[in-house]
Amino acid sequence: MIDRSRRWANRSLARLQTAGRLTIAQFRQQKLQLLLAVIGVALAVLAITLLVSTGLGVLETGQEQFDTADRDLWVTSSETRMTADGGGGFENTLYDSRTLSTEMESHDGISDAVPLAFDMAYLDNGETDEPQSVVATGVSGGGPAVEVTEGGELPTDPHFVDDPEEVETTREVLIDQETARTHNISVGDTVSVGGSLTAAQDTQFTVVGISSTFEEMSGAPTVTLPLNEFHRITGTTETEPATFITITVEDDADVEAVQQDLESAYPEYEIRSNQEQLSAVLQEQVIHLAAAGALIVLALSAGVALTVSLLSLVVYQQRQTFAALTAQGVSSSLLICTVIGQGLVIGVLGGTIGVALTPPAVIGLNRLSELVVGFEGLVQTAPWVYGVAVGIAVGIGTSAAMIAGWRVSRSAPLDHL
Amino acid sequence: MANSHGQTSTPSAVVSASDVRKVYTQGSNPGRIARALGRSPPPTISAVDTVSLAVSQEEIVGLAGPSGSGKSTLLHILAGLEHPTEGTVTFQGTELAALSRRGRTRHRLEHIGIVFQHFHLLNSLSARANVALPLVELGVGKRQRRQRATDLLERVGLGDRITHRPGELSGGERQRVAIARALVTDPALVVADEPTGELDTDTGRTILQEFQRVAENRAVVLASHDRETLDICDRLLRLRDGSIADRTSRGEITG
Repeated sequence: MIDRSRRWANRSLARLQTAGRLTIAQFRQQKLQLLLAVIGVALAVLAITLLVSTGLGVLETGQEQFDTADRDLWVTSSETRMTADGGGGFENTLYDSRTLSTEMESHDGISDAVPLAFDMAYLDNGETDEPQSVVATGVSGGGPAVEVTEGGELPTDPHFVDDPEEVETTREVLIDQETARTHNISVGDTVSVGGSLTAAQDTQFTVVGISSTFEEMSGAPTVTLPLNEFHRITGTTETEPATFITITVEDDADVEAVQQDLESAYPEYEIRSNQEQLSAVLQEQVIHLAAAGALIVLALSAGVALTVSLLSLVVYQQRQTFAALTAQGVSSSLLICTVIGQGLVIGVLGGTIGVALTPPAVIGLNRLSELVVGFEGLVQTAPWVYGVAVGIAVGIGTSAAMIAGWRVSRSAPLDHL
Repeated sequence: MANSHGQTSTPSAVVSASDVRKVYTQGSNPGRIARALGRSPPPTISAVDTVSLAVSQEEIVGLAGPSGSGKSTLLHILAGLEHPTEGTVTFQGTELAALSRRGRTRHRLEHIGIVFQHFHLLNSLSARANVALPLVELGVGKRQRRQRATDLLERVGLGDRITHRPGELSGGERQRVAIARALVTDPALVVADEPTGELDTDTGRTILQEFQRVAENRAVVLASHDRETLDICDRLLRLRDGSIADRTSRGEITG
């Protein structure tokens, strides 16, 4: 019994060694096929790592944005949806936002409640033919942290009382760094900002500082101005709408308890924590998420299809020799082991190359995204992504080889002799 | 033991075929619906028709006949590569029909050596590795595999070519590697289909001498059109339309 087991083990080992030698020998003879298959798998792996890294980066960037905002709760009256006519802004459906935020501030545990509004506007510095479309962001004095990199901060905006026209305006704005650079605008310059092309030529503001806080959040050029001025240029002084009311709780208050308290007091509004708000924003990007998922599936399918077809080609070229060996009595398991060996080599090489190409591709994509949309570090990878990618590559190679090997085992020797 | 054709299957026969028929169907049989719609069964071709023969040790039997006469099919049936539609094939007392697919593969590995017209060597392996490959299946150790392959290659005159790949060898040398591969498991029966078909006359003669040496302690069956190849046979069976049309002994062949 022991002798039989030992003989079986020795024979299996000899088969594996022979299959390994055959695999290497076959690849030496078919370098082009090997190269093409490896490139196919490497591209599939690269597509997967980059798509997953982009997803990770979006999550990480989103989380960072919420952390930077230094808010605890987000109040909205409906979905926080990107709108086609919003120029990258949000729907402003939270009406009478100042009164509402003042009310909310009076609740126990709330330190401040600040409305935040986004809408499309136009910026004209008098030197270009047409005003540039920008995202106008209205913030109140106690609003979310606006990081100013150059110049001064915005003044605290006054609350409209009965007649908005009676409120004194300061006509001061912040612009983002990229817009300042592109249009050669400096602190102290005068620009026109308006809710329409015509209005943009009539309403002048002084640039008091440079801030990219909301440019990084919206991915578009931004002009930040006091909330009352925002409502004035967008023609919404009557309803004073906002996209969000952001809430900071007191240091010793329990965020969850405050959230529950607000939810019961304002059932018509959505009250979300930072994490819930990020999830809600991401869930509204379902089409993009589905597209990314489809791309991953396509990349995987393309990798499998390419490897199967190339391995099938390799097997097809060797069909007569394999048939002759089967006729001679060589078992199909040795031939299948050889084909699987070829698939493994393709998977490991393709996976390694795909993973090796990921870091430079991430750097390139980050530079591109910074240039195009202004986000820094949009694509972020992690060690586990590499591990999963290599696993998938080996899986692609092995599964493709198993399909090709199965075809070898199914064919009768005389079919090819 | 006599069959319907009066061919005696001697007890010392290495392989014997008794009333063997092989019928091929051209296309697939119609399904139930196709039959109900009146589709008739596909036509059949009888490749081998009620053939009996026995091949003894140290005997070379030649199968001759025009293309399509059934000689390759009969060769494959004797080698256990093909199942006869009717009749039995017995190899050293074992009926091949009783063996499973895996059993037949093992049977070929242990008892049959096959030489093909187009050699069918693995181009990526050396001559020695090609010859030694079937021994892996038999569980022979690496050193013994290399030694036996080297011995056989030396025997067929390729002692100085053992590390060469098939692409670096001439047609005759490749066929000698194929013969060495067929002999490496020490089979009782060697079958060859047009073994000199790809070779020039002089190289073909060298290969035929190899076959004569091969037959010294085993049975050999050759299928060929070539007169010189058939001249080395002890017995010659001429096939026509799947049946044996003529049997000739050595004296009659050379005479």
